[in-house]
Amino acid sequence: MSHQDQDEFRDESVSLWRIAFAPTVWAFHFLLCYAGGAVWCAKFGAAQGVGFLRISVLGLTVLALALIVWQGWRSARQWEPHDASATDLHRPESRHRFLGHAAFLLSIISGVGVIYVALPALFITSCR
Amino acid sequence: MTDRTPRGPYPPTEEMLAEPVPEEIQRAQSERLRKVWQTKTGIRYLMSVNNSEVGKWYSLTCLAFMLVAGVLALLMRVQLAYPQMQFLDADRFNQFFTMHGSAMMFLFAVPLFEAMAILILPAFLGARDMPFPRLSAFGYWSFLIGGIFVLGSVFFDAAPKSGWFMYPPLATEDEGVGSDIWLLGLSFIEIASIAAAVELIVGVLKCRPPGMRVNMMPLYAWYVLVVGGMILFAFPPLIAGDLLFELERALDWPFFDHTRGGDPIFWQHLFWIFGHPEVYIVFLPSIAIAAMVVPTVAQRPIVGYSWIVLSAVGTGFLSFGLWVHHMFTTGLPLISLGFFSAASEAVVIPTGIQIFAFLATLMVGRVTISLPLLWIAGGLAIFTAGGLTGVMLAIAPFDWQVHDTYFVVAHLHYTLFGGMILPVMAGVYYFFPFFTKRMLSKRLGKWAFWLIFGGFNLTFLPMHLTGLLGMPRRVFTYPGDLGWNTLNLISTVGAFIIAMGFLIFTYDLLRPGKPRLSSRNPWRAGTLEWSDTKTGEDWGVRSIPYITSRYPLWDQPKLVERMDAGRYYLPDAPEGLRETMVTSVIDAKPVQVQRVTGDAWITLWAAGFTGGCFILPTFHLYVPAVISGAFAVVCILYWLWTSTARKPEKPMKDAGLGLSLPTYSAGPESVGWWAMWITMLGDSTAFASIVFGFFFYWTSRADFLPEGAAHADAALLALSVMALALAWALTYAARHLNRAGRIAACRAALIAAPLLAVAGGGVMVLSVMQLAPSSHVYPAVVCALVIWTVAHVAVGVVMQLYCLAGSAFGKIDPDHDADLWNVTLYWHFHVLTVLVTAAIIGLAPRLL
Repeated sequence: MSHQDQDEFRDESVSLWRIAFAPTVWAFHFLLCYAGGAVWCAKFGAAQGVGFLRISVLGLTVLALALIVWQGWRSARQWEPHDASATDLHRPESRHRFLGHAAFLLSIISGVGVIYVALPALFITSCR
Repeated sequence: MTDRTPRGPYPPTEEMLAEPVPEEIQRAQSERLRKVWQTKTGIRYLMSVNNSEVGKWYSLTCLAFMLVAGVLALLMRVQLAYPQMQFLDADRFNQFFTMHGSAMMFLFAVPLFEAMAILILPAFLGARDMPFPRLSAFGYWSFLIGGIFVLGSVFFDAAPKSGWFMYPPLATEDEGVGSDIWLLGLSFIEIASIAAAVELIVGVLKCRPPGMRVNMMPLYAWYVLVVGGMILFAFPPLIAGDLLFELERALDWPFFDHTRGGDPIFWQHLFWIFGHPEVYIVFLPSIAIAAMVVPTVAQRPIVGYSWIVLSAVGTGFLSFGLWVHHMFTTGLPLISLGFFSAASEAVVIPTGIQIFAFLATLMVGRVTISLPLLWIAGGLAIFTAGGLTGVMLAIAPFDWQVHDTYFVVAHLHYTLFGGMILPVMAGVYYFFPFFTKRMLSKRLGKWAFWLIFGGFNLTFLPMHLTGLLGMPRRVFTYPGDLGWNTLNLISTVGAFIIAMGFLIFTYDLLRPGKPRLSSRNPWRAGTLEWSDTKTGEDWGVRSIPYITSRYPLWDQPKLVERMDAGRYYLPDAPEGLRETMVTSVIDAKPVQVQRVTGDAWITLWAAGFTGGCFILPTFHLYVPAVISGAFAVVCILYWLWTSTARKPEKPMKDAGLGLSLPTYSAGPESVGWWAMWITMLGDSTAFASIVFGFFFYWTSRADFLPEGAAHADAALLALSVMALALAWALTYAARHLNRAGRIAACRAALIAAPLLAVAGGGVMVLSVMQLAPSSHVYPAVVCALVIWTVAHVAVGVVMQLYCLAGSAFGKIDPDHDADLWNVTLYWHFHVLTVLVTAAIIGLAPRLL
């Protein structure tokens, strides 16, 4: 059987995972913010306030956004929005670009999600 | 090792496809195919495992359960029509609202997703069947038995009555068997759901037709993939919760009892980690139906395919960050509420995107008004209204005001009617001609739509106001001087109008004599399911096509003709076996001819005994339950032994168009390995939920580790970990030894491994023998982790012995080792469970 697809592009099972990368970053950011907040407020919040917690959320947010932006940039290059050469859906280029496009859009939505989740830490100043 | 690389030309050229198939060959092939796939008649009809039969039973059962749950709602509305009514007493009212919610969610909404997916997904993919037909059938029978058991309790005045979310302490303290019926009955059904999820995920990833790359899948398949993944992460926490809950009910282990260190809030977390994604689990597949109907009614491809994929995947993820918005009034720190409030607002973005994509498709297309479109349009309108109140409720201070009032009842019915029921109705009207080859009545359909749509708004729109005026949910009556009377009466009238609509719909669905289909594609759709003939055949597709478009019926003009002629793949069944094609995950290149299991009684037996194992403990019949469980295991082993991973009569076979494909595969190439991987992912999620419990109690309770508490015995624990790790290593070694042809060494490893595993499991139990789990939540959680781990040891031992027997009786040899691959994969996950359990019960208490 012909292996022409592999010649043009290596097998893209990794790509399928890649479209889940940005949302996964969102999920970990969310989980760490929530779990961190819960543990901090249960164990230290009463005595030490939420200063450290808020700084940590900020740090996590910067880290998460950096990962998402990196992923978005990579997938935008894979998407190649200005290249009109691959319009036939069944060509490997099209599949390659589709996965890039989906990953790019998911990076945007994940970025927005991360910013949303970080907002409470900007405003809330106690463990009440 | 046999070389199992596919051989022959791929993709097929136009010349190959243009070459005609001689008439007599066509006839002989169809005859053989028809014989192999023929549905049995008479009592043997019940043996069927084919997706079309199981899917029909599944859907009709869901409809029946929905109608019963709807009648419960009507009776409640009668009781609430006027203040101080005496129609139902408080106790019965409690049973009714509990069963209404539980049945609509667990016996209708979620199973209907599985039912419809089993029914239509293979047709979208041009597959003959799902990869594991018997698993579908087993899931269906489990669902039927569990559903009748749970719903039947309402006729014996024994139904659960603590609300569909079973909050402790109300539910744990409840006398009678109601809570147990809920827990055990629904756990059984949840397991059936996970089975369906495994089936559907593998179906989407591995059973697409050749050429259908991931960027060409019907959007429905994308949604099924996302929802299947969500089920794997959403249902297991509830199963873990059910286990803890039942341990508290049966053995008095105080997981949710505040007086002994437990915390009822933990149940709420587990329930809503399941419960909120579950809302999206029922919403996404229904909106997926819209994604199939909209391009057809607009007669053009969907606008923004990638955007809808983004929307499905994004919603799938974000929906897991919302669960605490059901718990805004439980006193969690404001900052935690803030995180969940923010995520609840964020999920609106992807949800909205798909709706805009549908509207855009309709705007640029040539829309023909049809019944399916009517239902979709009504659904989108209602869902948008429900979404807007959702945005309001996601804001914590607003939620504090209307929590537990009829405002919430109005909101959730708007989202579920708009997001689930109406799109599903569109799907029924749209797909009915596909799976029955008859058309539903247009006139009756319009009546049903307007009665349901109008009645719905009449019932639930006033409820927003009833709620804002302060009427709480779940009260069986109310005083007449609070200004709620007229609103309630309107809602009751509306409810009966909805019921009339459903009556008309059900009549139309079941009445005989509906007109037969005049063409095979009545909606002029572009997707593969409409390639089926006017009268329908049991084989699914005559030959499995090579696909080069998202809408093959629109873009590949000779496709149907060539499919009918058997020009494409697997046009014949010379060996008299049911077969479908397995393709690669990303590009759908043909990799294997999969022999799928056929009709059998064993699935019914297995489901019956599994049912007994879950249902008998409700009545404290533990010995019969264990016996029933043992019979279930025997049935399942028989089923696996006789019909899965069997040695084929020849290593390769001609799949048509000159392509020769292997008939056997092992490891990541095989569908069974993927199913194991996916199952274990869900299993690990349940385990993680119990681990979460340990840390939850640690944060929520200052007294979680009581002074001087007894811990698990460190020395014994270490011994047990060593034995189990060795058992894992030997299992892994057995796979390699077998492949290297060292059969005797492989068998020796498979004898030593289960012995070590049994010893390890036993020692682990010994290490916690001195703990008193009913005295405090700490020993209870430790023992729960040990129970979980030891139960998995038992399953692991059965698997090792299965492989040993396989090697001894020639089912497994160096060239055929699929079972060994799957068992090794199970043990990879299991050894992680063992290590985590040991770390949590052995190390964490001494470190924290």
